[in-house]
Amino acid sequence: MSNENEFTGADILLKALKDQEVDTIFGYPGGAVLPIYDAIFGQNFLKHVLVRQEAGAVHAAEGYARSSGKVGVLLVTSGPGVTNVVTGLTDALMDSIPIVCISGQVPSHLIGTDAFQECDTTGITRPCTKHNYLVKDVSKLSETIHEAFKIASSGRPGPVLIDIPKDVQFAKSKYISKKDISFREHRIKAGSKNVDKNFVEELVIHIKKSDRPIFYVGGGCLNSGHQASQELIKLVNKTNIPITTTLHGLGCFPGEDKNSLGMLGMHGNYEANLAMNKCDLMINVGARFDDRVTGRLDAFSPDSIKFHIDIDQSSINKNVKVNFHTNTDITLTLKEINSFIDSNNIDFGDKDYSNWWGQINEWRKKECLHYEQGDEVIKPQHAISRLYELTKQKDTFVTTEVGQHQMWAAQYYKFSKPNRWITSGGLGTMGFGMPAAVGAQMANPDSLVIDIAGEASFLMNIQEIATAVQYKLPIKIFILNNEYMGMVRQWQELLHGSRYSESYVDALPDFKKLAESFNAVGVRAKNISELDDTINEMISIDRPVIADIWVDKKENCFPMIPSGAAHHEMLLSKYDKENPENQEKGKVLV
Amino acid sequence: MSSTSVYPTPINAFKQSKRSVLSVIVDNEPGILARIVGLFSGRGYNIEALNVTVVNVKKNISRITIETLGEEKVISQIIAQLEKLVPVHSATNLANLSESYEAEICLVKIEFENEEQDQKILNFADIYRSRTVQKRQNIVVYEISGTSERINKFLDDLDTIGGIKVELVRSGPIGLGI
Repeated sequence: MSNENEFTGADILLKALKDQEVDTIFGYPGGAVLPIYDAIFGQNFLKHVLVRQEAGAVHAAEGYARSSGKVGVLLVTSGPGVTNVVTGLTDALMDSIPIVCISGQVPSHLIGTDAFQECDTTGITRPCTKHNYLVKDVSKLSETIHEAFKIASSGRPGPVLIDIPKDVQFAKSKYISKKDISFREHRIKAGSKNVDKNFVEELVIHIKKSDRPIFYVGGGCLNSGHQASQELIKLVNKTNIPITTTLHGLGCFPGEDKNSLGMLGMHGNYEANLAMNKCDLMINVGARFDDRVTGRLDAFSPDSIKFHIDIDQSSINKNVKVNFHTNTDITLTLKEINSFIDSNNIDFGDKDYSNWWGQINEWRKKECLHYEQGDEVIKPQHAISRLYELTKQKDTFVTTEVGQHQMWAAQYYKFSKPNRWITSGGLGTMGFGMPAAVGAQMANPDSLVIDIAGEASFLMNIQEIATAVQYKLPIKIFILNNEYMGMVRQWQELLHGSRYSESYVDALPDFKKLAESFNAVGVRAKNISELDDTINEMISIDRPVIADIWVDKKENCFPMIPSGAAHHEMLLSKYDKENPENQEKGKVLV
Repeated sequence: MSSTSVYPTPINAFKQSKRSVLSVIVDNEPGILARIVGLFSGRGYNIEALNVTVVNVKKNISRITIETLGEEKVISQIIAQLEKLVPVHSATNLANLSESYEAEICLVKIEFENEEQDQKILNFADIYRSRTVQKRQNIVVYEISGTSERINKFLDDLDTIGGIKVELVRSGPIGLGI
């Protein structure tokens, strides 16, 4: 009995994706998703990007989402297909990235029988998604997909997974379009809709009263949308308050602006961390007091009154107790603060915080990011600085892997716009950057997309270079090659008596030849005289490029707040020695 | 009564551990209990007692009551985390309500050997006004309800009688704001 108003589950999925304005999907086929792949074959609105391993699909979807502000979508098969995306889902959950993962499942009647490529997908992914579904009834499929997109992108964004058994992909039902679905309020978790006027007033009063205020801005500002960053810039300009951002907050405020103190935290700037330590008013805009930011909690900004804007109620008072908080959207709240200041003609002109800025400028004189570039071996910091100088006029997106190179990228590459910086912060996923670059390039075909990488991280998802080649995505992989898992080695130096247990990356491939074997292009800089030319060559080639930059093998990432230490106990260089008591405490921390 | 978990319990969480009873209203859908239990084990919280039942068949809503231990800060965090779960309508710490009522039910099966024990058991059962469910030659089954504390006391009193065998089941506390 067939009805022309009824569609197969696979067709319903595609209709829903079209309805959600999805035009790109990253995936890898397999037995349990073949009906969906068959439906993809017969349409042309949706571009499918075939990755080389499912981990690549999920990181690509993350890169796509971060760089475009849209929901990233991926499609994987049952069993190993879905277990391969567990890392990426966890990464997206930690870093609040909206993605929807569609996974195939064995047919309903085989669920629970240990069928071929069966796994308990919803069980495995429950703790690493914002929400997940097993759709057993095709008539529920449309609303499930629409709710999944809504949940992924609302409130604090995150990953949502929809598991669809193969028989449900064949079964037929009516399609219900997005506009005909009414969401149940309690399931969407969109935060408070109303601006907290009391919070806004208190904040303005405290800004007026304070002598040493600071903005502490995190990834939430990014997720609130571009307007959040515009409102933030307005507010900073009005008040002349210094601003520091977390790793994910980079780009929410122009990094080269005079009010920017740069990144704070474990490898943050000296002036940013000292200002956090000494401030009397802290305005947290969408940051979550992560341990990489706070250092030792009992010594974290001891004398400040703390305001916190965060759409996620559970981020408030979790690690650090605050005095005032609101869980309304950042854009709405900042807008209200700006209009409150304007409509009440509040002038901060007399309040330029000159003593505070004087103190900050003293700290700046330490030049915590200073390094000595000799005339032979390339310093990794210098490689990033040159990369920045030679690409800053272009429309550039930067992704990274995880480790020293990531921190150097955060320190030396300056971002002036949000969504240009795509990195794995919370989970710290090595192998993230290259597939994320694939995703970012798909979303921004005409932009320059660079993955700043370490050779060890790059090897973790190296297969995705083939994806970049297949889809003619001219991503640039800029490897700071020091033959070590640099950050592991740095910790071994600091905390484990320089016993470099398993942190040397032996038997590395020749990255130039490797690129060529994939039909990509390989370039190399062995010393300082080749650096600029290599970077320029890399940029000029309209194909995927692997740039193998040989850097100083022994260089470490400073400044550094060792684990267990406080903001004012920073190490500025390798000559600074850590307090042995902290060292013992730090050893057991991460 | 204490439960153990394969996960280490954060020491800080129990600095000023206080017993709290949380009442959680949820959509009754597959996996909801797993989400809640997973949240507790994954984040190192303890579940001392748990009760789950559908309370509105039409709207398909269940009420889950959880007894847990933790200082106030931890309890607020648990509530915030619970409220992030998609099928959760609300999570409430009954202690934060101006008025709430709490009850638990317990079935106790007691095997005794002699008249003297029987008398003592009968005496306690009378004091606590427990209901006799079944009585045979050497076995008596009581149903007792009330606050968990009251049931604990009854059980402690039974414990003072030597030589009897006690088997029991408890529903865990349930509660309602009034």
